Amino acid sequence: MSIVGSSIGFGLITASILAIAAVGFTLQFGVTNILNLAYGDIMTAAAFAAYFATKGGAPLWLAAVAGSLAGAVLSVLLNRFVYSWFARRGAKLFAMIMVTLGASLVVQNGMTAVFGPDFVSLPTSAGTTYQVGPAIFTGPQLAIVALALLAMAGVHSLLRYTRLGQAMRATATNPDLARSCGMATNRIIDAAWLLSGLLCGLAGVALALNLSTFTTGTGGTFLIPVIAAAVLGGIGQPYGAMLGALVIGLATEVSVTVVSPSYKTVVAFAILIVVLLFRPQGILSEVAMAKEIAT
Amino acid sequence: MSSAVQLYVSTLLIYLGVDIIAALALNLQFGVAGIVNFSFILFQAVGAYVAAVLTLGPSTPPPAGFQDYVLGATLPYPLPLIAAAGAGGLLSLAIGVVGLRRLRTDYQAMVLLVFSLIATIVVTNETGLFNGSNGLSLVPKPLADVLGLSPYDIGYQWFFVGIVAVVCVMAYGVVHAITSSPLGRNLRAMRDNEHAATALGKDVTRLRMLAFVVGGALAAVSGALLVEFISAWSPGSWFLPETFSFFAAVIVGGAGNNFGAIVGALLVPVAFLEATSFIPTFGRAGLVESLKWVAVGLLIMIFLAFWPRGIFPERRRRFRASRTGAASYTPAPSPCFVRGTDQPVDSALLEARSLRREYGGVHAVEEASFTVPTGRITGLIGPNGAGKTTVLGMLAGAVAVSAGDVLYQGAVITRLAPHQRAQRGLIRTFQQSSEFTNLSVLENLVVAVPRARGDGLAGALLTKRYWRGQQEAEVDRARALLERFAMTPQQDELAGSLSGGQRRLVEIMRALMACPQLLLLDEPMAGVNPTLARRIEEHLADLRADGLTMLMVEHELGVVDRLCDAVIVMARGRVIAHGPMSTLRVNQDVLDAYLIG
Repeated sequence: MSIVGSSIGFGLITASILAIAAVGFTLQFGVTNILNLAYGDIMTAAAFAAYFATKGGAPLWLAAVAGSLAGAVLSVLLNRFVYSWFARRGAKLFAMIMVTLGASLVVQNGMTAVFGPDFVSLPTSAGTTYQVGPAIFTGPQLAIVALALLAMAGVHSLLRYTRLGQAMRATATNPDLARSCGMATNRIIDAAWLLSGLLCGLAGVALALNLSTFTTGTGGTFLIPVIAAAVLGGIGQPYGAMLGALVIGLATEVSVTVVSPSYKTVVAFAILIVVLLFRPQGILSEVAMAKEIAT
Repeated sequence: MSSAVQLYVSTLLIYLGVDIIAALALNLQFGVAGIVNFSFILFQAVGAYVAAVLTLGPSTPPPAGFQDYVLGATLPYPLPLIAAAGAGGLLSLAIGVVGLRRLRTDYQAMVLLVFSLIATIVVTNETGLFNGSNGLSLVPKPLADVLGLSPYDIGYQWFFVGIVAVVCVMAYGVVHAITSSPLGRNLRAMRDNEHAATALGKDVTRLRMLAFVVGGALAAVSGALLVEFISAWSPGSWFLPETFSFFAAVIVGGAGNNFGAIVGALLVPVAFLEATSFIPTFGRAGLVESLKWVAVGLLIMIFLAFWPRGIFPERRRRFRASRTGAASYTPAPSPCFVRGTDQPVDSALLEARSLRREYGGVHAVEEASFTVPTGRITGLIGPNGAGKTTVLGMLAGAVAVSAGDVLYQGAVITRLAPHQRAQRGLIRTFQQSSEFTNLSVLENLVVAVPRARGDGLAGALLTKRYWRGQQEAEVDRARALLERFAMTPQQDELAGSLSGGQRRLVEIMRALMACPQLLLLDEPMAGVNPTLARRIEEHLADLRADGLTMLMVEHELGVVDRLCDAVIVMARGRVIAHGPMSTLRVNQDVLDAYLIG
């Protein structure tokens, strides 16, 4: 079994988790224009919700549902009671990023205070492994890939075929225009937080499943690759985020074959910096710019 | 005082001094210049590292010694401190070149945050470079041997308090000189509205870099002092969250106010984070630590919500009354926008040649060619979406052209950056009000002065003596303009608190202070009440009489009729007609464009 082959396998799993998280992140950032630094910590909170659900005797699938719902509820609350309060008072970009930073500090350290600093793990049925091509996957890992595909298909049909999805895309492209076309942008923004929160929660659970153990800082550390994937794809572009997740996921895992594993995340960081410097609008931007003018 | 109390007090004072320097540095970057430097702690760490290795002497790798690092040397004090400042400045320059370019504020913050994370990973993994996660220890205390004092004496402790105090005063001197100078005013203008600052000829990239480098050097100095005091350098003490405690300090104290930064340093990093480490811990291990960070996060959010300007809000700068007497500012100093004799009336001051702008295949402007004659007011009209504002943007340099050229005073300026065009007298105003909200009306005007004394770092550090003379003359010129526009009573109000119409006036006056040869006005009367609109109209006519050339985008055809000598009509990205209003009125293309477009 080649090292490259198996690292591609790992890359696909990382990409799956990243895709769920990055699509959620890009929807929310695109619609609301808020770079939410607490996103990673909400992922952690969802993982803990799933953890406590399993401790209460729930099966893993139910725990995953609980985690996703926790992500959704927390996201909506965070927006309703914190972010939108500042947004209504006309907070500028640099004030807003400080607010999301404060929220991140509160959520992450609040969890450390309540749950403790120890590593915990979701009970996964170890044992059966599956050989797919050159790579070996565990059951939960395959489940993550399947969940990601399902989530992507769900997001695709929602954005494509429902009025809400169309309204969301329109708001992401041009909020002023959407408002003047009579769309209830407030409800759309709530829906965006709900949807992105669901994805955020699901990604948190998937992340916790994939790592054998996790702690209150886990989601926060995962945030930068998520942002990298979203920015690479072009903010507000769900399909771009999927593509970005694939690139970042594969690049970080395959890089292990040439550089020390400690530098794995640095690869994602480097991609983020390079993209921001040379193409801050992301790889799918021409489409976005055209939409902005054509509407 | 018993020696235990002395030890406690002197230690706290040293931490306070270190944190004050750091908070002043971050206030310059964040509070004054608006840079969200999420890698702030990195510069402190670098300064600390450089000071440590330059005191430690050559590296002693195992097995002979126990720590391995680069750059080891033994330099006499205070050279390690100075080298630390240099290293902080250099690193700021390197990171600034990469991270501080034309990016949105929050993206810049992301890039800087990522740099901080990368640095942590590199430092903990490259044992040969920085001795890995063990860090450095046994850093000799400065001058202890020279003084013949044991570094553990209470006497030495107070001596070190003295060193910190001296450096603190020097740091305050530097930051105060910058913030009170014309340079500081430019920085605050950039923070309030980057585009407007650029349109007045300010090189915002250079300004931002300047604040970033000076702040980085000061942060490094604070780190150097800290490492000399605690004798050890551990990567673990420079993780990302430490940055946020300084942000909390600046926000709580009052962003943009140096005194506020000092109070913030006293309240947040010292009282909150250092002093509490002396109280007994309760609960499980680490509980107090995490609660502290919850509190830091809450502090940031609560202050931004209820006291966004902090405990000590940014000072509103007032200028002293002119020495020639406050009652009357006549005779007005000659306005700098009066046309030179080398440009005869009606000669082409500006020429657009086949300008085109497309966005991913969609043409916002397809073909725009016209000239703007010297000494006249030229109108630019057309239905919504005709591309008027895009054309204005291309002339000013804010929008890049897809094809075509802009000629100004006979030279091609298509490749010049917006601030370079502004420096040549091509000044624009904006469709949306773009005043510098936290500057007073008078400051809004004075900030526009081109090539002011003290708007560079050297000039600012030469202090008031160097730039006061010229500033007084410019303040007089600004007051004359205020008098002319009947805005004298509002001169000390914050521009952000004015009415919409008054803000438009401020914007026009500000543009005039920048010595325009050609003024590009984007709907100067939009959203202004009819009385004030009428007044703006009269002012524009007066300015033409003074010899100023203008190109004006305007919707109200009555205004265009009364004011403009010639009119350019655009529709669907093209110039469709050009001439005096009287002939355009009967032009069928124009009528069609307005009725159908």
